Amino acid sequence: MSAGAGLAYDQAPSLGLPLAYFLTAPAFLFLAALAGLATLPDWLDSRWSPAALALTHLLTLGFLGMVMVGALLQMLPVLLGRPVPAVRGVARAGWLGLGLGTPLLGLGLGRGEPVLLLAAMIVLLAGLAPILIGAAWVLARARGQSWVAWPMRQAWLALLITLGLGGLLAGGLAGRWAVGDPASLTDLHAAWGLGGWVLILVIGVAYQVVPMLQLTPAYPTWLSRWLTWWLLAGLAAYSLAQVQDDDAFAPAAMAGVVMVALAALAFALATLRVQQRRRRKLADVTLDFWRLGMASLIFCALALPLLERLPEPARISIGIVFLLGFVASVAKGMLYKIVPFLAWFHLQAQTGARAGTIPNMKEMITDRFARRNFRMHLAAVLLLAPAPFLAAPLAVPGLLCLAAAALLLGRNLFSARRLFLAHGGRL
Amino acid sequence: MSDEFILDARWLEPPEPMERALAALERARPGERIRLLIHREPFPLYELLALRGWHYRTERRDDDCYEVLIFRDGPA
Repeated sequence: MSAGAGLAYDQAPSLGLPLAYFLTAPAFLFLAALAGLATLPDWLDSRWSPAALALTHLLTLGFLGMVMVGALLQMLPVLLGRPVPAVRGVARAGWLGLGLGTPLLGLGLGRGEPVLLLAAMIVLLAGLAPILIGAAWVLARARGQSWVAWPMRQAWLALLITLGLGGLLAGGLAGRWAVGDPASLTDLHAAWGLGGWVLILVIGVAYQVVPMLQLTPAYPTWLSRWLTWWLLAGLAAYSLAQVQDDDAFAPAAMAGVVMVALAALAFALATLRVQQRRRRKLADVTLDFWRLGMASLIFCALALPLLERLPEPARISIGIVFLLGFVASVAKGMLYKIVPFLAWFHLQAQTGARAGTIPNMKEMITDRFARRNFRMHLAAVLLLAPAPFLAAPLAVPGLLCLAAAALLLGRNLFSARRLFLAHGGRL
Repeated sequence: MSDEFILDARWLEPPEPMERALAALERARPGERIRLLIHREPFPLYELLALRGWHYRTERRDDDCYEVLIFRDGPA
């Protein structure tokens, strides 16, 4: 039982803080599409090409980083009952760090420019350190609901490892220090970034937002308790085997990879299952984003154990399906629920408006425009997934769709902001 | 014993339960309490209640839904 006179409204961050992250995210998606056009055909040749590395970071740090950090700032206080200390300063530092550091990193990786790489590393680490410390403060003090907090803690650890390895690699590329085995460290950096930080955080957030916003039953308890531990164990086994630099450990590395793939598969199937059993079977565009996301994740999970044996175009294709098909779809599906909800909620809280006098969630972003975004996004995924197998000019339509989808997302999110302000909301 | 208005907002899409609860508060007669039935604990609603000067007491039911009693003064 809980009772009281309500949580203090000012414990949650003001709308302006997460919204700054959410509104900046589409700009990086757009930038990635433009950079993809400008660097054709380089990124189609190798996933470790400078162009591919630059594009990957525009998507992961720029787009996904903005969405995920914005969502975390919003969700941590609500889910764990404690505000992030000095949330304004922390949020602004993180936004500046990601917003300035990511383009610097993209340029530095793309051009192999040591000064830019070094500057990117400093700006990103300086901006993200307060976020990591603030989140650690909240996560360390989370009370009671350990099953909510654990995936967040695990994602936090994975982010720390990803940033540490990334910093080590960037410093090596910039010539500041020697890196023993850059190829192996790059694999680890990618594994902890994509399989750790991204996947664990998506899973942890999905446990909360899918039942809440799509009216599904809860995920099975055994799954939500243990799945991310299993995933983390798989990553750890893979990493420990990988750093041994000894073929005798190859089976252990493969066992780790299979564990990660099984976890991804279990999560995707469980999500599709609870969504199928949702209470109100109304058409919902966010559900389509999630279904595309889960179908893409299943494809990647099945391909993951074969990754080392596949030709390079197939590996790049799997990367595209993971980043655009899985993560960007899920991120957009969440944005189309979270942004209208926050705009409605803050407007309601600030103005105390009578029922029916402020726009409701569906009016903040209309389903028609969100669906247009889904179609363009789906076209981008379908056109870009086979692109590494085809002649370079055939990647152009997919990149144009990606750019158009980014503009539609930005337009839709800005429309919620415009309505919020027009009805007397304060950011 | 004061009046009680029962509002069943189970399995409505967010933020409809909140919208209905706020509308019920606007209509409430002096001394009337609202008993809100809902499928999840409505944390954001608590903030809106506080801003309007209402109190609440929440209990989890056996069917995993929640009953939120919303009142002005002592719950009685």
